[in-house]
Amino acid sequence: MTLREVEKIYYFIKRDITSFSTYKTNMTLMVLGALFGALSYAFLGSNASMQSVLRIDGMSFKDYLVIGVAFSTYIGQALTLVQATATPWQLEEVLVSPTSLGTFIIGSSAWGFIWSTVVVVIYLAVGSLAFGVVLSINLIGTILVLALGISTLVGFSMIGAGILIVVKQGDPVTWLMGILTSVFGNVLYPPQVMPYPLQVVSYFVPQYYFFTCIRFMMLGRSIQAILSNLLALALMCAIILPLGYLIYSWCLRTARKNGTLSWF
Amino acid sequence: MMDSAVAIEMHNLTKTFKSRERTSEARRSLFSRKEPEMVTAVDHLNLEIRRGELFGLLGPNGAGKTTLVKSLCTLLPPDEGNALVNGFDVARQPMDVRRSIGALFSVGERGAFWRLSGYKNLEFFSAIYNVPRSKRHERIMEVLDLVGLNDKAFERYQRYSGGMKRKLALARVLLPDTPILLLDEPTVGLDVISSRTLREFIRNDLSRKAGKTVLYTTHYVEEASHICDRIGILNRGRLVACDTPNVIKGIVKKGEVVEIRVKSITDAQVKSIKTMDGVVDLVSEVEDSVLGQQLLRFHLESIDLLPMVLDFLFKEGIRLIDLRREEPTLEDAFIELTGKGLGK
Repeated sequence: MTLREVEKIYYFIKRDITSFSTYKTNMTLMVLGALFGALSYAFLGSNASMQSVLRIDGMSFKDYLVIGVAFSTYIGQALTLVQATATPWQLEEVLVSPTSLGTFIIGSSAWGFIWSTVVVVIYLAVGSLAFGVVLSINLIGTILVLALGISTLVGFSMIGAGILIVVKQGDPVTWLMGILTSVFGNVLYPPQVMPYPLQVVSYFVPQYYFFTCIRFMMLGRSIQAILSNLLALALMCAIILPLGYLIYSWCLRTARKNGTLSWF
Repeated sequence: MMDSAVAIEMHNLTKTFKSRERTSEARRSLFSRKEPEMVTAVDHLNLEIRRGELFGLLGPNGAGKTTLVKSLCTLLPPDEGNALVNGFDVARQPMDVRRSIGALFSVGERGAFWRLSGYKNLEFFSAIYNVPRSKRHERIMEVLDLVGLNDKAFERYQRYSGGMKRKLALARVLLPDTPILLLDEPTVGLDVISSRTLREFIRNDLSRKAGKTVLYTTHYVEEASHICDRIGILNRGRLVACDTPNVIKGIVKKGEVVEIRVKSITDAQVKSIKTMDGVVDLVSEVEDSVLGQQLLRFHLESIDLLPMVLDFLFKEGIRLIDLRREEPTLEDAFIELTGKGLGK
């Protein structure tokens, strides 16, 4: 990526921050929403009865919940990342400019990730300061897990966005991934609490590996401790990301060929 | 930039779309599979637009104008034939084409960001269009001044009027200072004054002073007639005429146009005039139903045939109020080529 393309991404972020900052009420509500969300999950996790039910991988249920909920914002962001760029007129404006599709996708979604990071920090700060979640971040491991997890979900997002470009309304991939995240994704409860056949489903969902790994990394465990889960996530990423790109490119080509790009 | 005298050239350019409409036979069966019909939006088009030329592309709705513009700016890949823009092939060298053009679509204002000011919008697009950072501010102010928006530069886009939004869309197109401009119905939705100002700006500033090649699509005949060096008339994807406005008027309407204002003429009498030898076309219009005043607009093969029509009117006792001989207009040509002539 050239310096010029990096500069373009900066201008995408600048555009989105300027636009976002004009919605002051919305901005305040979002920050408050993150704060209260963190509080409610921390209270739930601190509940003595819950603590006695679960002791997961050597961490308290409170740690489990706060970290899981915090990082689920990244998952939500990554899953809808490419769809956000599928606004027909914006796609047309960019496709007639000398800007690559990659820069457009990264630029359009960069602010979303920055905002998600703010939300993660709020969740972790509340968990740590008010409820005694002890964080000991393995920085390299966290970056690695985030990169793999987000890339995998961006792959799904590209499949969803591709379908959206062709069918215009209703994206079954994002819908399905949202359900898989909440039921089998290891966000609010470990799969082990489900009946065995349902537990098996979790092992085919990349979110399961992402949340398993990120919790360990946030609590200072070594990469060795999550190696098998990390490899499973990497394998899924290696398949889904290129597949997503191929499907997205094909759908974009099809819409251009059919002249339906600006339809919505 | 290429040195060729031709800025845009199309060779057998064809674009076909699938239509999801069912055939009448398929429609009869409830469970029949949808049979896509093929619609040719641009049909084997051959056209050259010279460098520095202001070329008007006229056509009724659905003639293929927007499809053609989108093909030229690399949004729609052609199915057959090819097109070169500034010497670059639209299918094989899309990035080079994009660096050579500024494209304004008929719904261009949708691409802007409503919560940002006009200036901030242009700042974003100047980065997207590779305007060098050191020249960005200067260039933004320059284009805002060109389109007459400099006093509204820092006002939010959502507060702009329709005309101002259109002007900002044009300012965005002008930012990268490209040699070729593709303007798809730039005056749509503008009031008369804004529309005229914009047309004059395109002709005087962009075409004459800056020497840009402009492809200007519209379905307003007089608009194209006033500003364009040459005009192409597009109908159902085919170029049915291409020349200067004056030549097109001459080619299409050989003969005379006469307007006669009469009183108390019946439909049967109008029909009788219509069927006379040498009367190519006749449009009648009620001007005043209370007074029974009607305007007959004739197209005669020759002015020598006028006495024959007047004889008929006198014999039928129809009172003649006014008679005027008219030069054929581009609108006459347009209607004949796209409506009557080809619609038959």
